[in-house]
Amino acid sequence: MNAQTKPDTLPQCLLHNARQRPGEVGQRHKKRGIWVEYRWSDIHARVCAIACGLLARGVGRGDTVMLISENRPEIYWVEWAALAIGARTVTLYPDSSQEELRYVAEDAEVVAIFAEDQEQVDKALPTLAACPGIRFVFYCDDGGLWDYAQPRLFSLDAMIEAGRELAQREPDRIDAEIARGRADDIALLAYTSGTTGSPKGVITTHRALLDCAERLRRAVDIAPHSEYLSYIPLSWVPEQWFGVTLGMLLPLRVNFAERPDQVQEAIRELAVHVIVLGPRQWESLAAGVFRRMIDAGWLRRRLVDWGLAAGRRVHLARLEGQPVGLAQRMVCALADRLVLAPLRDQLGLKRVRVAITGGSAMSPDVVRLFAGMGILLRNIYACSEFGLVSAHVGARYDPETVGRPLTEPTPWGGAMQWRISGEGELQLRGASGFAGYWKRPEKTAEKLDGDWYRSGDAVGRTPAGELLYYDRLEHMSTLRGGARYPKQFIEVRLRFSPYIKEVLVIGDGRHDFVTALVNIDEAVFSRWAEQRSIGFTTFADLSQRPEVVAQVAEELRTVNARLDTAARVLRFANLPKELDADEGELTRTRKLKREVIEQRYASVLRALYEGAEHFDAEIPVRYQDGRAGVLRAAMRLGTVSPQPVAAGGGAAVPTRELATTGG
Amino acid sequence: MDEAMDNVMDVQGLTLRFGGVTALQDVSIRVQADELVALIGPNGAGKSSFLNVLSGFYRPQQGSIHYKGRDIRGWPVHKVANAGVARTFQGTHLLGRMSVIDNILVGRYAHMKSSLAHAFAWYPFTYREEMRHREKAEEIIDFLEIEHIRHQPVGTLGYGMRKRVDLGRALAMEPQVLLLDEPMAGMNAEEKEDLARFILDVREFKKIPVVLVEHDMGVVMDVADRVVVLNFGRKIAEGTPDAVQRDPAVIAAYLGTKQ
Repeated sequence: MNAQTKPDTLPQCLLHNARQRPGEVGQRHKKRGIWVEYRWSDIHARVCAIACGLLARGVGRGDTVMLISENRPEIYWVEWAALAIGARTVTLYPDSSQEELRYVAEDAEVVAIFAEDQEQVDKALPTLAACPGIRFVFYCDDGGLWDYAQPRLFSLDAMIEAGRELAQREPDRIDAEIARGRADDIALLAYTSGTTGSPKGVITTHRALLDCAERLRRAVDIAPHSEYLSYIPLSWVPEQWFGVTLGMLLPLRVNFAERPDQVQEAIRELAVHVIVLGPRQWESLAAGVFRRMIDAGWLRRRLVDWGLAAGRRVHLARLEGQPVGLAQRMVCALADRLVLAPLRDQLGLKRVRVAITGGSAMSPDVVRLFAGMGILLRNIYACSEFGLVSAHVGARYDPETVGRPLTEPTPWGGAMQWRISGEGELQLRGASGFAGYWKRPEKTAEKLDGDWYRSGDAVGRTPAGELLYYDRLEHMSTLRGGARYPKQFIEVRLRFSPYIKEVLVIGDGRHDFVTALVNIDEAVFSRWAEQRSIGFTTFADLSQRPEVVAQVAEELRTVNARLDTAARVLRFANLPKELDADEGELTRTRKLKREVIEQRYASVLRALYEGAEHFDAEIPVRYQDGRAGVLRAAMRLGTVSPQPVAAGGGAAVPTRELATTGG
Repeated sequence: MDEAMDNVMDVQGLTLRFGGVTALQDVSIRVQADELVALIGPNGAGKSSFLNVLSGFYRPQQGSIHYKGRDIRGWPVHKVANAGVARTFQGTHLLGRMSVIDNILVGRYAHMKSSLAHAFAWYPFTYREEMRHREKAEEIIDFLEIEHIRHQPVGTLGYGMRKRVDLGRALAMEPQVLLLDEPMAGMNAEEKEDLARFILDVREFKKIPVVLVEHDMGVVMDVADRVVVLNFGRKIAEGTPDAVQRDPAVIAAYLGTKQ
């Protein structure tokens, strides 16, 4: 891209597309069963209309607009409209609570809120009443809102209507506003998910978005006009790089599912070229394969096992740069025909060229499983503050790592430098850099060491120059005996077991050994119990069945075999209820909130370390309507034996071989 | 305003007997436009019989049923349905092997003009009609948030979802009045809440009056504008949910009285 056409801001990309490729389809949205297409000229017209509405309603340069919605074209348009007139945006997760919304609205000095539907409007209205700075709330889905009499609440259409007069009087106003934008204008405030302390808004400039998007494009080699499904939430910065920035810069064709729970179906219908899913979604895709395998007949199961093994031998060898024999290649080609291609088709990954994961560390086993199918899953490693750090580049990379640091300069940012401090912390400088936290200079200063940005991540470096992510620096754990071990490293490996949905590994200076709290996968275990005629009633009952506890112990034992002696999980308990974001046990990105969980289950942990076999737990719970209650459960505490348990059908589970491949 | 015009349904002095059993005796109920009337009462009070009379399944011995000014007493079922009276059933009477969308399209039957021969010949107007009905069906699917099960056979759905599809089929008729017979029986609390929301949405958004027969008092008291209480075929009380709850006759009917 040469200097003349280099856009400085996101809306300038939009303007470019509207002029250069007005008839090309930029977005598609499945509505009422049909994919509705939006061309760049349509998108530009809509964005301008919304921008006029915002101006007419008194929103202007330097103001903040809040967005809370599932992924759909409207949230993109509103974001671009706000950016076009020089306002900045802050996007919340659609399942954020009313309190979170109010906190961010006050902290970010929000003047207008775009709330998707009744659910979001209900959360926004109390804040509208309480915060004088907020002028209005607008929505795009009017379901259930027909009788809301509130003068400062109106629809997106009413908003466009309000700007119509301005649009007619000054038809070029928005294009002129777009031209005034500068690369260092603030585009977003990205609120950190709050795993540590209250959320802080990370200042993200247009330069940072464009720089990261461009480095991403080069790293994973995304072709223009690829089909892309917008699924990961906009409040997570990578979606801002993919769907928002690359979507316009390259451009991509960005697709939106009918409803968030329709994503799997949408993936199949579209057969996308570029797909970005969080580690949990990849894991759930993999678990879906396993679940169906449990139901499949013996022959089909063996065939799939064989196909995946054949695929893995060739694709993994290529990934590792080893030579592949002709015979193996032929077997792989046959397996591809018979098993792998249909499997990819089933998952909707038939045409995938770029498959990406990121957000938190992912079990290398998942990467290996998809590699077996011929899909190279690439990790990207990034943080809200500094942006993109590393990615799996090229045809050869190590699935265990988070890839190679992306140091190359772009038209928007300089070269990136990195180093590992004495404590093992990754530090970065250069690129588009860390622009600081919104209104928190003291917190910003804490993250800087001279001009180096302190990531707070403990990393290592492989001989090939790739980064190995261990954990957050403060989460590296030390047992009483002084042995250090990375909890998260263990957890991701455990989580790949189809039987385990979530797991929290425990063990610090007060403890002599490592224990685990396990949230079993209800769907998998229900089916498993059904096949073995094991009766159960609720989740609490299922999780404490002796057969289930024994099966989880087997899973732990398999993982233990790969760990140092000191890091092995010796005892565990199956939680009698699922971990729940509504109860503050998980963040909205489904990361574990350790302190909360450890506190809630303190008595269970005590019993585990005291060696008890049974424990009657009383766990405080909060129901969805806000009432508090106590869950009483007779828990069966498990012990992981170093030897495999001979009895029982554990080894006959069809998923076992798949679950432990690559180990 | 003229009162007669405001009443969508005006039932006067309805009496229904099955041989020697009197199911309904001298029951009078008015349903106004944009109103949600709940019909409650102990088992055997005559609630379902009343709905069956309104929709033409049973012929009453005495009384009148005026629907939009016309006396529809004695009309056959299909004629009542074509006039805009839609109902759902206790339990569900859906076509289990057909998909959700096809079940909803069945509800469009009254509005379809093409004959079987037309459908085979696939004339342009048949095609356009098909498109139009499909669009209406999709509108209902969107309204009831059942996109994800659009192509699933109804027989594979859970009970709560089936009831929602049942409501969808009734809505597909574009009714002028909607009769719901115990829509929430056998549902769990969450399913009840979901369906209650859709019923309220029907009234608010589609502006259709609803007659709801329901056992769950919590739901009735939350959603109804007016409650009519039946006991042994007679109307024993009528009024706002609050007033009905305090009515001694209602308390006696539900809880019994001291001898």
